[in-house]
Amino acid sequence: MYTVLVVDDDPAIREIFTAFLQRGGFTPVAVSGGRECLDLLKTLTPDIILLDLMMEPMDGWETLRAIRHHPAAGQVPVMIVTGKQPVPEDILQYGDMIEDFIGKPVEFEKLVACLTPTLEKIRDLHRMTAQKRESGTDTALIEEYTRLLRLVRITQNMSRRYRNIPWAERIALKEQEERLASLHTLLGFTDTPGDRGDRR
Amino acid sequence: MSPASVFIVEDELIEAEDLRQTLEKLGYIVTGIARSGESALESLNTTRPDIVLMDIHLTGRMDGIDTATRVRILHKIPIIFLTAYADETTLERAKVSEPYGYILKPFDERELHSAIEMGLYKHRVEEQARENERTIRVLANAIPDAVMLLDHSRQILALNNAMEYRLGRILRGSGAGPEHFLDHYGISESILSRLEESLQHGRTLHVVEKTGTDWFEISLNPIPGSSPDRPLVLVQYHDISDYKRLEEQLKTEGITQIAQNMEQFQILNDQIRNPLQAIMGYVSLDCARYRENIMKQIGIIDDLVSRLDHGWVESEKVRKFLLRHYRDNRDDDPGTSPPAGQRGEHR
Repeated sequence: MYTVLVVDDDPAIREIFTAFLQRGGFTPVAVSGGRECLDLLKTLTPDIILLDLMMEPMDGWETLRAIRHHPAAGQVPVMIVTGKQPVPEDILQYGDMIEDFIGKPVEFEKLVACLTPTLEKIRDLHRMTAQKRESGTDTALIEEYTRLLRLVRITQNMSRRYRNIPWAERIALKEQEERLASLHTLLGFTDTPGDRGDRR
Repeated sequence: MSPASVFIVEDELIEAEDLRQTLEKLGYIVTGIARSGESALESLNTTRPDIVLMDIHLTGRMDGIDTATRVRILHKIPIIFLTAYADETTLERAKVSEPYGYILKPFDERELHSAIEMGLYKHRVEEQARENERTIRVLANAIPDAVMLLDHSRQILALNNAMEYRLGRILRGSGAGPEHFLDHYGISESILSRLEESLQHGRTLHVVEKTGTDWFEISLNPIPGSSPDRPLVLVQYHDISDYKRLEEQLKTEGITQIAQNMEQFQILNDQIRNPLQAIMGYVSLDCARYRENIMKQIGIIDDLVSRLDHGWVESEKVRKFLLRHYRDNRDDDPGTSPPAGQRGEHR
């Protein structure tokens, strides 16, 4: 059973997330802010974190950066779930550190339904990269591939969801895709990690 | 009107007495008789006649013309010369002392009377003209703007103190008179060409110029001259530095305010999406059971939207800024539009 950590300052959101996650067969844990999240990560390593952005005093991006530097939870996948309008600058800066960027309001059923495929993709990727690590492939290359894969996927997702913003242009999607493809070949991967279409 | 008073300067005693009687007969008051220029000047320190009758040939150090010149400068009393004869040189000298009349001896009563009346009238008219000029000068100097009147060849006909000061600053050390400054100093080529344009087409033009840290709006107002081909132009420097600074301040503050508002809107939008998210969740879970929670979230949205409305009302600065810089037609908004000459500068 996957453990999902919800970080949101709105008590109603925490309450409903918890209810839906339980219904979906997850183990939900909810905290009200970035500090509380980091504290909890000392004792608990969730399978994924659903992170709100506009929180006080520590906002979502700040929390994300802290998570990535966290000794125990540095690799925990993070999905942004926020009411903040997404902008290319945010994705350029953080797109390679997050699994997805979900804009509120979102149907809980869909959100919860997409969690399992997302986590499976991540598990696939881990398995693939672990093999390469064991066979002595440069870890910097693997790291770059992982980050680029996140950035490309999130840019594709954003392009589908918010058509009025020129995501591909601003994030130079074509170049990123080409670089990803060449890394894919370079690392000798044969299949793409669990790509099962739009998660939304 | 009380009878005019006359002072006589005549070294011939009999002639002086004769003149006094004639004058009194004509109804004038004779305030005194002096026999030399020196004694005349002394008497005029204490008495103030309306007019002086002055013999040109006086014994003593000063003749009548010397005395007349001094009287004109010191007392501004009109003078009529009396003389039996005059050579060209004397006449020339007499002219320079600007007399109000000239009577050749011997003269009769009627001649004397008309000469005095003409002199008095001429003096009154001149006084009036001087008074008018004084009034105009007081008015011109009361204007804080620097103002000058130029003729069609750009020579200065008149200027107020502010313009004198301004030109003084421009010309200090250059050694040139103010009439040269338009051709050579301080004023940019563009103003010269605009000046020509204003003179040629009789159009009022406005030019904005920056001098150091100061901004001026220079108005060129054509004025009809003595003939149609000789128009004049009134040049006026209006200091708009304060206005420019205020505009700059408003611009900066306006932009800051917009940035702040954008941020606030982002926060509010995020805050509105949270209750929407909650409502969606409650509805999916169980509408009837979570009715109270749903209504509470709707209340939150309502409150946030009211705050948005309020935000619009509050952001007066932003509104002004937007009106000022992005509205096409600003003519009907005198409160925020710049002086006429500046229109079009900001686009």
